Amino acid sequence: MHPTETAINDYVDGTSDPFERNAIDEHLAACAACRQLIEDLRELKSATATLELRPPPVRAWGRIERAIRLEQRDRPRAVFPSVKSLYWLGAAAAIVLAALIFPRFLPGRAPAGGDEPAEMSASARQAAEAIESELRLAESHYENAIKGLEAAAKSDQDALDPGTAATLQKNLAVIDQAISESRAAMRAQPTSEPAQQSLIENFKTKIALLQDTVALINEMRKGNEAGAARIVSGLKNKG
Amino acid sequence: MTARQQRPTLPFPSKEATVSPEDLVAQCQAGNVDAFETLYHQHAARLYTLACRMAGSPEDGEDLLQEIFLQAYRKLGSFKGDAAIGTWLYRLALNHCLDYVRSRQAKMNKLTDTLDAETSIQPTARRETPIARLDLERAVERLPDGCREAFVLHDVEGFDHKEVGRLLGIAEGTSKSQVFKARMKLRALLGRA
Repeated sequence: MHPTETAINDYVDGTSDPFERNAIDEHLAACAACRQLIEDLRELKSATATLELRPPPVRAWGRIERAIRLEQRDRPRAVFPSVKSLYWLGAAAAIVLAALIFPRFLPGRAPAGGDEPAEMSASARQAAEAIESELRLAESHYENAIKGLEAAAKSDQDALDPGTAATLQKNLAVIDQAISESRAAMRAQPTSEPAQQSLIENFKTKIALLQDTVALINEMRKGNEAGAARIVSGLKNKG
Repeated sequence: MTARQQRPTLPFPSKEATVSPEDLVAQCQAGNVDAFETLYHQHAARLYTLACRMAGSPEDGEDLLQEIFLQAYRKLGSFKGDAAIGTWLYRLALNHCLDYVRSRQAKMNKLTDTLDAETSIQPTARRETPIARLDLERAVERLPDGCREAFVLHDVEGFDHKEVGRLLGIAEGTSKSQVFKARMKLRALLGRA
C-alpha cells in the first residue's frame, strides 16, 4: 500500500516521525513509482528555494507617486485606472452592447411569449441604462487618466532628447492607429470578443507607454541615467 | 521654465547617501515623498513578488503593489517602530494579498478545484533537464486558486501549515492537502509526472 499524501508531504518536508519515516523507507525500497515521486517532489522543493525576487515595472513607482500627490492635494481618489479596471471597461462595454442588441438575455426578462412584455422591456431598458451609465463613468476615468498622463508628458517633454521624443511620438501614433482600428472593428462586430480584447489591449498599451514616458521624465529630472537608459531601451524594443 | 528648473530643492538626501531606517521612516511619516520613494525601492521587489505569486498574475500583482504602498503611506503614522519597517510592510502586504484572495474567492465560489484540475492542467511529456526558475514561476501562476496560495505561503514564504491555515482561514489538514495538490500539479506542468 502506498503512503498517503500527507505522509509523502511530511517525508519530503522532513517532518515525519521516526516510525513513519522507517515505514516509508521500507516502502520506497520496493516501489519505483513512489521513489520517483519523492525524487520529483524533492527536486521541486529545491527549485522553489531558488526562486528570485521580481523587480516591479519601472512605471509602478510613477503610478504610486502620482496617486500620493493627488491625495496630498485632498483629492478623494486617483484618476488613474488600475490594470484590472480596463478589463472591467471592456466587460462593461460588451454587456451594454449585448444589452442593446439582445435585450432578451438581460436578467429578469421573461421567456419569449411571456405575459408582461411591456413591463419586462422597461426593466431591461433600466438595466441597460444603469450599465451604460457605469460604462460612461469608467470611460471618463480612462479619458482622465490619458489626459493627465498626456499633460504630464507634454509639459515636461523638453526633458527628453529629440531622438527619444521622436520614438515616443512614433509609438503613440502606432497605438492611436491601432485603437482607431479596434474601435472600427467593434462598430462592425459589436459582440466580437477578439475585437473587444484588442481594444482593451490597445488602451492598456497606451496607458503603459504614457506611464513609461512620465517615469522616463522623472528619471531624467533626477539625473538617474541608468534608470532612464533602462526605460529608453524598453521603449525602443516596443517600437 | 523647464521642469528641471521648476523642481524644488530636494529636502531629502540623494539615494547614495546613507540614511538610517529610523530617519527614513521619520521622513516618510512627515510626508516626504522622496523619502517614501527610497523606502519603496528598498522593499518593492519583495512585496511585488509576493503579490504576483499570491494573485497569480503580474497585472494583478502590480495593482496590489500600488494599493499596498498607498495603504502604507496612509498608515505610516501608526508605525511605532516595534518591528522593523520591512516586517511591518510585509505584514501589511500579506494582509492586503489575503484580503484580495478572500474577495476573489467570494466572487468565484461557484468554481470548484475539481473543475480547475480537469480543465487547466495537462501533464507534459517527462523532461530530464533541471527545473528552470522561469518555468517554475510560470507554472506557479497557472496553479488553481486555493492550492496556489497555500503553496506560496508554505513552500515559498516558509509559513508552517498551522500558520497557513490561520492565514487562509482553513484547517491545518486542508493546508497540507492543498500544498500536496499544488506540488502534484507543478510536477505535471513541469514535465516530471
